Amino acid sequence: MAIAILIAALAGATLALFFQPRWWFPEAISAHARAYDAHFLVTLCVIGCIFVFAQGLLAWVIFRYRDRGQAVTGSDGNNTLEIAWTSATAVIFLGLALAGQGIWAGVHLEGSDPRALKVEVLAKQFAWSYRYAGADGAFGRVDVKQIDDAGGNSFGIDAKDPKGKDDLTAAVLRVPVGRPVELHLKSRDVIHNFFVRELRLKQDVVPGMTIPLRFTATKTGTYEVPCSELCGLGHHQMRSSLVVMTEEDYAAWLAEAQQKVVLP
Amino acid sequence: MTNVSRTGQTLLVVASSMLFAAVTSAMVVRRGIGGDWVAPELPVWVWATAVLGPLASWLILRGWLRGAVIAGALLVGLQVLVLAELRMGVIGEAFLSVLVAAHALHAAAGVAALARWGERAGLFWHFVGALWIYVLFLFGVWA
Amino acid sequence: MTLFSTDHKVIGKQYIGLALFSVFLGMLLSLVMRFHLVHPDTKVRLFQMLWPEGAPGGQMTPELYLSLMTMHGTIMVFFVLTTAPQSGFGNYFLPLQIGAHDMAFPVLNMLSFWTTALSLGTLLLAFVVEGGAPLSGWTAYPPLSGLGKITGPGQGLGQDLWILSIALFCVASLMGAINIIVTVIELRAPGMGYFDMPLTCWGWFVTALISLFAFAVLLPGGVLLLLDRVAGTSFFIPGGLIVNDQVQGRSGGSPLLFQHLFWFFGHPEVYIAILPGMGVISTVLSVFSGKKVFGYKAMTVAMLAIGGLGFVVWGHHMFISGMSPYSSIAFSVLTMAVGVPSAVKTFNWLATLWGGRLRFTAAMHYALGFVSLFITGGITGLVLGQPGLDIYFHDTYFVVAHFHLIMGVAAVFAIWAALHYWFPKMYGRFLNERLGKIHFFLTFVGVYAVFVPLHFAGFVGNPRRYPDFKEYEFLKSVTGLHMGVTHAAYFLAAVQLIFLFNYFWSKRRGAVAPGNPWGATTREWTDD
Repeated sequence: MAIAILIAALAGATLALFFQPRWWFPEAISAHARAYDAHFLVTLCVIGCIFVFAQGLLAWVIFRYRDRGQAVTGSDGNNTLEIAWTSATAVIFLGLALAGQGIWAGVHLEGSDPRALKVEVLAKQFAWSYRYAGADGAFGRVDVKQIDDAGGNSFGIDAKDPKGKDDLTAAVLRVPVGRPVELHLKSRDVIHNFFVRELRLKQDVVPGMTIPLRFTATKTGTYEVPCSELCGLGHHQMRSSLVVMTEEDYAAWLAEAQQKVVLP
Repeated sequence: MTNVSRTGQTLLVVASSMLFAAVTSAMVVRRGIGGDWVAPELPVWVWATAVLGPLASWLILRGWLRGAVIAGALLVGLQVLVLAELRMGVIGEAFLSVLVAAHALHAAAGVAALARWGERAGLFWHFVGALWIYVLFLFGVWA
Repeated sequence: MTLFSTDHKVIGKQYIGLALFSVFLGMLLSLVMRFHLVHPDTKVRLFQMLWPEGAPGGQMTPELYLSLMTMHGTIMVFFVLTTAPQSGFGNYFLPLQIGAHDMAFPVLNMLSFWTTALSLGTLLLAFVVEGGAPLSGWTAYPPLSGLGKITGPGQGLGQDLWILSIALFCVASLMGAINIIVTVIELRAPGMGYFDMPLTCWGWFVTALISLFAFAVLLPGGVLLLLDRVAGTSFFIPGGLIVNDQVQGRSGGSPLLFQHLFWFFGHPEVYIAILPGMGVISTVLSVFSGKKVFGYKAMTVAMLAIGGLGFVVWGHHMFISGMSPYSSIAFSVLTMAVGVPSAVKTFNWLATLWGGRLRFTAAMHYALGFVSLFITGGITGLVLGQPGLDIYFHDTYFVVAHFHLIMGVAAVFAIWAALHYWFPKMYGRFLNERLGKIHFFLTFVGVYAVFVPLHFAGFVGNPRRYPDFKEYEFLKSVTGLHMGVTHAAYFLAAVQLIFLFNYFWSKRRGAVAPGNPWGATTREWTDD
């Protein structure tokens, strides 16, 4: 009896928490992020209905059939019912699975955009670096022997390769607003994870692999990048930023940064 | 052989098969993506050890347990010799080492079981013999 | 000598005792973690006494936090959720319920338990060796776990011991699984068919089948990882790594390969933890409703479906790991499909209650609480099972909330239901009903208060496995939330003392129980 009330109360309290605005997604800053939020809302409504229905039914059954000395009446099996609720849940669950494939496909199954700004992302315990191809649009060769973190060459850009002369490295990821960006994620040591909440994007960065990640940010601002795969004792401090800039600001930053490029 | 013993050994066979299947599939994947695969070369005499398992099985069926135990122990000894030759730094040989060592543990257990329980442990031994042929086949034909 | 007894009842109690020790140890570790999360700069003398290196001057280091987290997860998953429901109650009651004198292999049974105990000892040893316990989490992904102490404190000997402990646990679990399966197949009483067995036996049977396949894969996975560490192999370690400014001379290994091996075990492990509980809940709901279990056949089919499908969904742990995005779609559809038999079970439980006459014993309270928690923890699986939505929630507190509710807390509620239900059989006395109900109500409120808010930390994007949240601007918004959760956790831990008292007091002083106190119809009560 008391347990019926408690289940109803806890389910109600849980449900109520979903209507508070304080702890929720951050603002969405890309078409994908908005599509994500829309599909999440659909999923949330579906599971919310299931939650209310199931917990409500549980509480009600407990209340209704509490021991009042009544005779036991219920049956102990019904194939029609079994088939009905099996197919109903199968339709709902698989429907959700199929409906959600669009957002996944949008991130991972679309081909490379030739206009995209390509940036290499290098993760290591416990820092991020970014490499831009520079004016020639081509990344220089890398050579592990030439890696020099203190000297500003975390990527190990080969000094002998002319394509690498104008490569630009940075500790913050700057991209122009509205332009497709293609990141190439690499790790030097253990698995890390590149996560931008506002883009609704998260991707493991695996040593030995180069993993592409594509997005187009539609709103300027500075967004935090927390490492989201356990990478060691400094995992919680492996922080970086994504700065989405206007085309003009980006061009100005690029021109200024380009002048400072000095390779060892 | 009692039903309990037979069912128990059958399940042991299932678990061991699963274990070898896991290592095999890991090897298939690793070989495909690593780009550093070199097929391990085994001395010719190793192929001859394939007969030891079936030989012991035949001896069990003929009722000469001591002979089966000797054949099984010989197999384990030769497997240790193979292991000593393999280099862990070469990935193909590392996989082979794991499979040979895992098999040697199975064979040693099988020999001990034959010595302890006699022909009642025969089912497991037949599997061990077949498993060794599988391992050799894997490296002789596929790798 | 009873210590090395081969009697299934003694061994069952030994497993339950081991799980009881482990669950309180794991809980204490979580309390230390919850404390540190909200007071990251507070120096505590006790920490310095316990971990002189990990907490110099009482100030906990990040590596200590991560090692506590690793040990908490490992202890809870392996030594609580895998031992108590399956090996503990399974050992004690499976033979009684199918009319067998003992398990099929009593000596093997004894060896299983002592291998498990050795495994636990090996794990705990990691606390005291140089560098302390490993910090790579219960999932131990290489290269972090595969290169030795260069990747961090605890990644030396501590990680070796961790792997050794898991390998021993695999061996013990395989022996236990074989024992249970043979017992079910061969030792059922004459005339008892498979579909005459109580659902508890089905739970143990299917769980043992899952264990047989899952641990046989984790074992070689662990061995290969150990070889990468001690023999210089490159199973999981790719070439060209530079760790801590040192070039690693490996080549060609694949970190994802380990994840595949691990999760091939890791996902079925979830069902290893919950299926025996599902069996117990079915029994308890039926006994205290005064009805047979609704849809007995459907329940067994659902268990088999869960066991089978459970082996083809492991990729949903790897949606963002870098594996092929096409395989994610397949894993997603299969994952949503495995939700169906779980939902079917829930409906059947509700239908079991329907039309009954419900007696609210303590065991019934825990069983009803289980159903509620199973729903709450289960439906968030419909979010995480979609790769598109998992992108954001992966490795956030949303996942922490999800698996604690469904795998951790629900399974523990099933253990409590089982203990209250079977205590009279095990000790001839009742667990105190009033204390049991008080403990239930406080715990039930406590687990909702701890784990429901954590979903919202996930909405904010709060990554898990962070020792503190000071580095990030966006995590300032969850400070209050975590403070609340930590206090709820203190409360939740404190009320466990009621259970502990009830357990030990009732063993000696509890009300003496008659032969079949609940009016049950299964053989453990009706046979002499």
